[in-house]
Amino acid sequence: MEAEQLIQEPFRTPRLHSFSMITLTQVAKNYDTPAGDYPALCGVDLQIAAGEFVAIVGKSGSGKSTLLNLIAGIDRPSMGEVVVNGANIREFSENRLALWRGKNIGLVFQFFQLMSTLTAAENVMLPMDFARIISPRQRRTRALELLERVGCTRHADKLPSALSGGEQQRVAIARALANDPPVVLADEPTGNLDSSTGKAIFTLFGSLVRSGKTLVVVTHERDVAEKFTRVVELSDGAMIAAGTPDRQGATR
Amino acid sequence: MTASTRKAVGDAWQERARSGFVVAAIALGVAAFLALLASYAILTRELHSGYLATNPASAILHTDAVDDHMLAAVGADPEVGSAEAKRMVFGRIEVGPAQWRNLLLFVVSDYGSIRLNKIVPEQGAWPPATGEMLIERDAVQVAHARIGQTFVVRTADRQEHTLRISGRVHDVGQAQARMENSVYGYITPRTLAQLGQKPVLDLLYIQVATNKYDEAHIRHVAEKVKQRLEAEGYRIHGVDVPVPGKHPHADLMGTLLLAMFSFGVLLLALSGVLALNFTAALMAAQVRQIGIMKALGGTRGQVARIYLLQALLLGGVATVIGAPVGIWGTLLLCRYMGMFLNFDVTSFGIPGWVFVLAAMVGLGVPVIASAFPVWRRTSMSVRLALANTGTPQDHFGRSVVDRMLAGIGGGVRPVILSVRNSFRRRTRLVLTCTTLTCAGLLFMTALNLRTSMIRTFDRLFAAQKYELTVNFGEMYPVEKINRAILSVPGVIRSENWIVTQAVIARTGRRAPRVTDASDTFRVFALPADSKLFVPVLAKGRSLRSGEDDGILLNQTLAAQNPQIKVGDHLMLQMGSAEMKGRVVGVDREPMAPPPIAYVPISVLERVHPGMANFTGIAIKKTESASIESMRNAIDSNLEREGIRGVGISSKSEFRVAVDQHMLMIYIFLVLASCVVAGVGGLGLATTMGINVLERRREIGILRAIGATSRMIAAIVVLEAVVIAVLSWGAAVLLARPLSEALAGMMGRSMHGAFDFSVAPLGILVCLTAALLVAATASLLPAASALRLSVREALTYE
Repeated sequence: MEAEQLIQEPFRTPRLHSFSMITLTQVAKNYDTPAGDYPALCGVDLQIAAGEFVAIVGKSGSGKSTLLNLIAGIDRPSMGEVVVNGANIREFSENRLALWRGKNIGLVFQFFQLMSTLTAAENVMLPMDFARIISPRQRRTRALELLERVGCTRHADKLPSALSGGEQQRVAIARALANDPPVVLADEPTGNLDSSTGKAIFTLFGSLVRSGKTLVVVTHERDVAEKFTRVVELSDGAMIAAGTPDRQGATR
Repeated sequence: MTASTRKAVGDAWQERARSGFVVAAIALGVAAFLALLASYAILTRELHSGYLATNPASAILHTDAVDDHMLAAVGADPEVGSAEAKRMVFGRIEVGPAQWRNLLLFVVSDYGSIRLNKIVPEQGAWPPATGEMLIERDAVQVAHARIGQTFVVRTADRQEHTLRISGRVHDVGQAQARMENSVYGYITPRTLAQLGQKPVLDLLYIQVATNKYDEAHIRHVAEKVKQRLEAEGYRIHGVDVPVPGKHPHADLMGTLLLAMFSFGVLLLALSGVLALNFTAALMAAQVRQIGIMKALGGTRGQVARIYLLQALLLGGVATVIGAPVGIWGTLLLCRYMGMFLNFDVTSFGIPGWVFVLAAMVGLGVPVIASAFPVWRRTSMSVRLALANTGTPQDHFGRSVVDRMLAGIGGGVRPVILSVRNSFRRRTRLVLTCTTLTCAGLLFMTALNLRTSMIRTFDRLFAAQKYELTVNFGEMYPVEKINRAILSVPGVIRSENWIVTQAVIARTGRRAPRVTDASDTFRVFALPADSKLFVPVLAKGRSLRSGEDDGILLNQTLAAQNPQIKVGDHLMLQMGSAEMKGRVVGVDREPMAPPPIAYVPISVLERVHPGMANFTGIAIKKTESASIESMRNAIDSNLEREGIRGVGISSKSEFRVAVDQHMLMIYIFLVLASCVVAGVGGLGLATTMGINVLERRREIGILRAIGATSRMIAAIVVLEAVVIAVLSWGAAVLLARPLSEALAGMMGRSMHGAFDFSVAPLGILVCLTAALLVAATASLLPAASALRLSVREALTYE
């Protein structure tokens, strides 16, 4: 019930914190390809404050997903620094990155990417098993709370194949919140959903921001722009605009 | 090279780790198939020709003494091709300080003109001079002998004599001396005289002139010779007719080779399963490419040919690798079997058809195994094929089994994930489990059979309460025997029996007709309430005290006369004595014993009152040293009483020989299970490799949500462990019925039965082995899962 209310609740401006949750300084990323060196990002400077709801937009191949991957520690920058929640993650080993990510970052993917052999509740509990912050006894209770928050309580013991796309994405959001990370990153989370379900998902994201999470979303959705505190536009690996939705293009 | 061929080679190379596993498994199968088929061809050929080269006798007549007149008379018979006199003498030989072994001496008059059961001189003197002995080449190791060395021997006169080893011979007709734990020696009658024995030859070897391999003809001729000699006043105690033209161990070799060949075929089938798994996964990943090729104008047949060519290439490489290994295995196996059966393999030439068959199998197995997945995937429409993401669609959760699995929870999600992952590709799971199950099955069956054999023999040997038996050869007063034996410290009890040769004569109103009267067997006449001979009954009951007409058959005699049932009346002809009796039961004895009947001693006591020619002795200590000292003490006491014992046999020594015979089967099954476990391990490694490949993206997600390398590796290893444990479980379930069936077959081959028992240790060892195989097989796949970066894994299609 609460989840339904959250989803239906009109968007309000979130409370922004003064400190920077995500700081990218002169970040560049090059890929070695058979055709030669390919610059996916070049010299990006970006600061995202705690509690911000930032959209990253741009054409295909503009570097959106690369930027998100760098923030998540999924990829490493070729140059520059990435500091998230006070940690410079560039020097982290793969294992340390995984543990750090489990505690600090919640990830939501376009194709949901739930473990097909685990039920919804088990999918939500899986990051808790990895991070071991929450005691084993409390994990199911917390998973059910999170599923309730995204409106999927009744699907707790269903396998992903029994859920619709929207339901799967909500479960994926619940999974992203499993260890109560300060940052949630979503890569085109509504790209595989119909528009009404997509709107519901963004409303859910809004509620997360209101609860103090920092959200960075790669998206093509233009009609939800008013929900963001800031929109960052990329083109050919460079940041060409950053500002509030109504002032998008101010820094262009 | 055409583009199609390039693609076939390129794809196989791209998946080189998995291709390598498949090639290794098929190569192993080809090697085993070739080695076993070639060995079968070589050994049957060589054993047959080697045995026939000795010119084996058709029949052996037991008499008192073969003289020149007898030889001339039999030799003149147009139905007899050759006749020759020989003798076998049992004794003991001291092979080390207080270490005695059984000695079987063959006595031949003229070594220059041996025509039947020839022996081949290998080294040293030929023929042996008086006071010298030639030794069978395998017995050299039993006696730790060298030519020129002198040994102390004892025969029936119990005196110690010395014999010098003057040469080494090869006697194809004898079983391996090491297995029998006996020494075979070859002497002349003069040497025999020096050993205190009458220098007479009491065995008449004959070979029929025609139809040498017709057993009925041989029996007919032998019977005629026997009757003729008896008519001339000679005593013929018995006639032995070996299976014509067949080495005594040919059946054993045939059984072993058949078992090995079945194993080779099994191995091939299992490597085919591995190839099927590999191709199925490869084809699943190739669907989009198949769509593209078809969109470009390729027909289904053309596309299918590319993948079948790939299978053919893998088979070709495997055959090229497997064939030399198979040839090497053939040499090894033939040498070993030759040594085991005591014959020389003169030519290791492998018949051409073996190579052709091995090549056909090596090339054919992967092609046949690939046919179904290739046919299935190439039948897809272009539209569907092009829409394929490249990784197999996951429909987990749609079947009842999936939902059942989802219902089984647990406290640790990574564990649940591993368990359920194991069941995602169920056909693949079944195929992988099949191989591993076979390995476990063979291993547990081997151990179950061993346990059953040991328990059966323990039980059967335990029923024989005597440790030593003394064969006197002739009758002695019981009073004297008892005085000699019971005065030896350590003797608990002794029983005097009468042992004689007998034939079943046709008699009695309910007695069955016995068609072949020439089959002789031994009769043990013993007290009906014997404390030393306690029969283990297969049928009926044992002899009862006060019963004069009871006859107890052992399993071999019962098997040789299947028409005789418990309750039937028989007449036994025992020399001059006759006994009308009734079959009361069938006794079980270890291994395949000679045919024996047990009758109450009262039957022969009438003929030999107060006399006996055989004694069973129970003693306190049964260690080797104690037995030897008891034997010596008994020997001395008998000598003091003027009794000449032909030989003292030990039950423990016989038990060692029995265990040696059984060891072969056990070792073969354990080795076979290890090889199959190797193939199973390769199969599991391939399956896990494919699973990891298909779940790259999933692994990326796991890492993205916080899974460390250790966790990812643990999930992969645990999945392999689940598959291994499932296979183990299936093997545990199937091992009992298979072991029981095999134990039954082996029991029947010994005319008896095994008391089946399960080896619990085998179950535990097998589980440990399964876990080890799982851990080893998942190492590479786990490492490959860890090599993937999160970004690569997430972007994998």
